Amino acid sequence: MQVQKPFKQIASKLASLKDTSELMIDLSYSSLLLNSRELAEEVQELEKHVDKLHTEFELLVLSSGFKPEDSKDFLGLIRLGIVAEEIADAAAEIADVILKVSEPHPILKQVIREAEETVARVRVPRNSSLVRKRLRDAEIAEETGMWVLVIRRGKRWLRPRPNTVIKAGDVLIASGYAEGVEDLKRLVSGSSESE
Amino acid sequence: MTELDKIEYTPVSVREVLTEMKDLSEIMIDLAYSAALFNNRDLAEEVLELEKRVDYLAYILDMNAMLAARDADDAESLIGVTKVAAATDKISDAAADIATIVLQEIGVHPVVREAFQKVEEHLARAEVKSDSMFVKKSLGELELAARIGVDLIAIRRGKRWIINPDEEEVIREGDVLFARGAAQGIDELKELAEGSCGRSTEEG
Repeated sequence: MQVQKPFKQIASKLASLKDTSELMIDLSYSSLLLNSRELAEEVQELEKHVDKLHTEFELLVLSSGFKPEDSKDFLGLIRLGIVAEEIADAAAEIADVILKVSEPHPILKQVIREAEETVARVRVPRNSSLVRKRLRDAEIAEETGMWVLVIRRGKRWLRPRPNTVIKAGDVLIASGYAEGVEDLKRLVSGSSESE
Repeated sequence: MTELDKIEYTPVSVREVLTEMKDLSEIMIDLAYSAALFNNRDLAEEVLELEKRVDYLAYILDMNAMLAARDADDAESLIGVTKVAAATDKISDAAADIATIVLQEIGVHPVVREAFQKVEEHLARAEVKSDSMFVKKSLGELELAARIGVDLIAIRRGKRWIINPDEEEVIREGDVLFARGAAQGIDELKELAEGSCGRSTEEG
């Protein structure tokens, strides 16, 4: 029992480091595509958050009281933490372009569009049939071909998970083929009463 | 550094090179984490191969961007492109660092690995053998997602990588498939790719 507790904490801290750094990559590319200072600033905020998470993670690992023969396994954990931080830094550098360069080269938009086709933002209205549904059950990808990259909820950015419950007012940022954008808008705005 | 390592200028489309770098770096992160969390050396080695490709592309991109700038305005606008390319390169380096954890047999603590294996989707690599039912079939015909619940994220054909292959892509003998999905689907994919499907699972 005593052995399990630190591992549980270490694993969950590592999971949030990994998730946050990956979310940052998605957001930083989206900030370029949408030429959005707001998104770019959000990435900078997340970078500070990752620094904090990383320190907490390292302290957890170092204070877990491991035996000398296990030190390799723990070194692996420390390295994974460092990598997540490197990824977060790289994402911050990408977002930084939006904040520092007055007119980003059109190539950048083309590249992101080519790689991901297109990005759309849709707000979930109060009467949407998606409200209170889990992402898994909303079947957005199946219905529209659009893939939800991130969910903005007030000031927070959530990385979509199958169990994430959609709330009224959420802004879904999704990528996919251009044809899917209209389908996505229709799906999201469809009220739960109609058909 | 040997003569062989030197990279010569090649005229290319900056847009195409950056697109490739972005695609490769993203897939590298996926492959690398899977390699570490499932302790898979094959995946880790693929990541290191990809890293060499991204390094090469980064050089070529910078050279082309330098030549494309004719004045201060060009330079101001192109700096964003080279910065993004550099960051993409950094992401691929990070992926390579993860792969190294596996290849140097440092490893990730098994208890933590288990915790991840429960939540992460499996990602695996399967080589297409000559007697596989996949050979000469297009992805549209195979409908892997619908049939066995796996998502084919990339194909490696020799040195070439096809990221997010489309429906028309026809699988060839020797292709290496990279797919994501539940453990069962991944196992099934491997069996089918290796042609060892004596017990054909013919379900709707």
